[in-house]
Amino acid sequence: MKDDKSKSELNYQDLTQSDKDLVAKLVRGGFSRREVLKLSMVTGVSLVAAEHLLFDGKAAIAATPKKGGSVRMASNLHGPDDQLDPILFTSTIDYTRGRATYNSLVQHANDLTPQPELATSFEPNANATEWTFKLREGVTWHDGSKFSADDAVYSMNRHLGENTTSVINSVLKSIKEFKKTGPYEMKAIMNSPNSDLPTLMGLFQTKIVKEGSTGGGIGTGPYVLDSFQPGVKSVHSRNNNYWREGANLDAIEITAITDPVARVNALISGDMQMVTQIDPNAFRQVESADNVTLLSTPAALQLGICCLKNSEPGSNDDFVKGMQYIQDRKRIVKRVLKGKGSLGNDTPISFAHGPDFCKELPQREFDPDKAKFHFKKSGYSSAELFVAPVTSGVEDMCLTAQANCAKIGFDLKLKKVPTDGYWGAVWMKEPLNVVTWNMRPTANSQLAIQFGPGGNWNDTFWNNDRMGELLRLSLAETDPAKRHDMYCEMQTLVHNGSGMVIPAFSNINDGIANNIMGMPTVPLGQLGGNEWPEFIWLA
Amino acid sequence: MMTRMVMQRIGIGFATLIVVSIIVFIATSILPGDVAQIVLGQSATPETLAALRAQLGLDQPGYVRYFLWLGNMMTGDLGISKAGGATISSLIGGRLGNTMMMAGFVALISIPISIALGLWAAMHPGTMLDRIVTFGTLSLISVPEFFIATVAVLILAVNLHWLPSTAYMTGEETFVELMKALAMPLITLVIVVSAQMIRMTRAGILNVMSSPYIEMAILKGVPRGRIILRHAFFNAIGPIINVIALNLAYLVSGVVIVETIFAYPGLAKLMIDGVQTRDLPLVQACAMIFCGTYVVLILIADVGSILSNPRLRNPK
Repeated sequence: MKDDKSKSELNYQDLTQSDKDLVAKLVRGGFSRREVLKLSMVTGVSLVAAEHLLFDGKAAIAATPKKGGSVRMASNLHGPDDQLDPILFTSTIDYTRGRATYNSLVQHANDLTPQPELATSFEPNANATEWTFKLREGVTWHDGSKFSADDAVYSMNRHLGENTTSVINSVLKSIKEFKKTGPYEMKAIMNSPNSDLPTLMGLFQTKIVKEGSTGGGIGTGPYVLDSFQPGVKSVHSRNNNYWREGANLDAIEITAITDPVARVNALISGDMQMVTQIDPNAFRQVESADNVTLLSTPAALQLGICCLKNSEPGSNDDFVKGMQYIQDRKRIVKRVLKGKGSLGNDTPISFAHGPDFCKELPQREFDPDKAKFHFKKSGYSSAELFVAPVTSGVEDMCLTAQANCAKIGFDLKLKKVPTDGYWGAVWMKEPLNVVTWNMRPTANSQLAIQFGPGGNWNDTFWNNDRMGELLRLSLAETDPAKRHDMYCEMQTLVHNGSGMVIPAFSNINDGIANNIMGMPTVPLGQLGGNEWPEFIWLA
Repeated sequence: MMTRMVMQRIGIGFATLIVVSIIVFIATSILPGDVAQIVLGQSATPETLAALRAQLGLDQPGYVRYFLWLGNMMTGDLGISKAGGATISSLIGGRLGNTMMMAGFVALISIPISIALGLWAAMHPGTMLDRIVTFGTLSLISVPEFFIATVAVLILAVNLHWLPSTAYMTGEETFVELMKALAMPLITLVIVVSAQMIRMTRAGILNVMSSPYIEMAILKGVPRGRIILRHAFFNAIGPIINVIALNLAYLVSGVVIVETIFAYPGLAKLMIDGVQTRDLPLVQACAMIFCGTYVVLILIADVGSILSNPRLRNPK
């Protein structure tokens, strides 16, 4: 009853444009109690009414898309190595161009469930040794020719085999080959069963290119590539023959502004309508600007410290425990990430991974006494950690740890190195180093990539046989309860045994103009998992 | 005599280019990681690394790669970017034009202003205006360009909304739109290079003003303005030309900070990107262009100072 009364007090439609903008801003920022209060104060309505406004606003934002307009997007990095060949995509700007130009077989929804894209269905056989993909008919390439199974089989097989340069080759190791079984049907022949296969078919690098090509900007996607200058920009215009709804804008331009301050300035002054990677120091500036919104998507973007188990001091379990207990996790989330993040529990899985996250596992807390005890037991009184700004907040996180170590008489030296060349020269080489990983779409791929025994990127060199067994078994398990138990056991193993310290996860923080509607929130990458080109429209 | 000197200079310049190419080659080889490792980044595996290295010809020894490159360079083939697969000439082409355009506009604005202000300050030493110019230029020389750029963006773009904060060009703009897009980097660079040229002009002329023949002219009662323009300026022009040449070379090769802040696609940023991706052919090509620019501009400055000095023009 109270609800009804307050609802009649003020409706979303009656708001002035600036108040509507405020509502839109709150809806996107994931509104907190404090922000509802703010709205209530600004519009002069009661708290309950303010909450209603937000829900109405949410509905208005999800309204029917309009066609037209254009958008400029600035990523944080680009260079002469910008690619149009999907198998070599490694950066946000490549992923975005890929999303605009090409299609994958499968697309990730906001909750990470696999959705049909160029594949209309994907079914395993009884023992999951084969997967059958039915492909969409009536899809045309930008050059007018017809899409068929030949293109899909060719594109997917480029990731497999001895001589491939595909960056996801090792992620797709469970697949033996792709085979054409009809003009619009293909099969994936498996080396080992994998219930997550459809999800893997939606990775950034699995875009489908024309048979015999390396992409070259000819795709089946929502936008046609007009021009492409590596390290400068690309221009895309709407594909009027696109095979489904979407592609609402007339044109998009994709570029990068490497300087973080300049990037934020370009957003606020209106030169760019979308920018990636807002630095925590600039949150307030973006939030207080009238024309733009800070888009903060919870994700499992880990801020990690690797203690290599195959060398000193990481081989000593007490040393690792000391490093884990000295992390002031709450302070890191609050101060370093300015609240746009979540607590880490020394495993790479966060609640953003959905049901596979083990919330039963007790949160490890900041405990200087325990840290002191373990450091003492380990016999070490100092260590050197290699730090590069691999993602925003990592350096400040290490400085926080250094200060807290000093208080308990442990000397944590920080060796600052540049990100340039970091992955080849420092990561997986120096005994203590920092790491970040893009969030993987499934808990299994996330755990397998970092903790699979003997894996290429097992970056703490922690090899646990039970872990390997569980990684395999969980892929074949179909009972949700048993599956969850397995994932919990794996996270507990990593939490207790590995050399990984993960004090916090960062949200994905981007900025967009207020009139951009229909933003996806896929947590796998910047700007809605780079899925925005197909969905956004201008109000 | 003149021709011989110019030929000699060109020869030295050529040798400099070769030495630079060797140094750049060695320097990029010493850096950790090669292009295959950088391209594959965190997701590199031994197998994909080997496959990509073979594809790019990186499995050949360094000196072989160097001479292959040198040979191609001589025939005008700059090669293919190891990182992205585009031809180097296509990567450099547009950016060289952008860099030259920016350098040209900055020179057109800053050289007349600098010489005029420098002369003016020299004509009225010790006056209020001279002090303002001296103080202003000294302060601006001391302030790093990224600071000038950031303050300019904050005031002119973010607060006043007069100018765009980035030099983003669509390629279809009119001259006025182009000027507006380039205004911010132009303002920054004009401030940075003018300060130095103004000081050099003023100092050069005041230096000449203390020589005996100027004293003679003063005693004869020649007006100060005439002394400076007729007698002093041409004798001071040698060092002024030199400082202008150095500033022009800087505008072509050294403006990476301004290019980064304004996201202006110029050559200097391309070279840094090349280093970061260990894209050797690209780094080499940029280094050659920069080195060539220095050689040519300094050659012009030398010839200019000789022409302006009768003692050098007609040696005994």
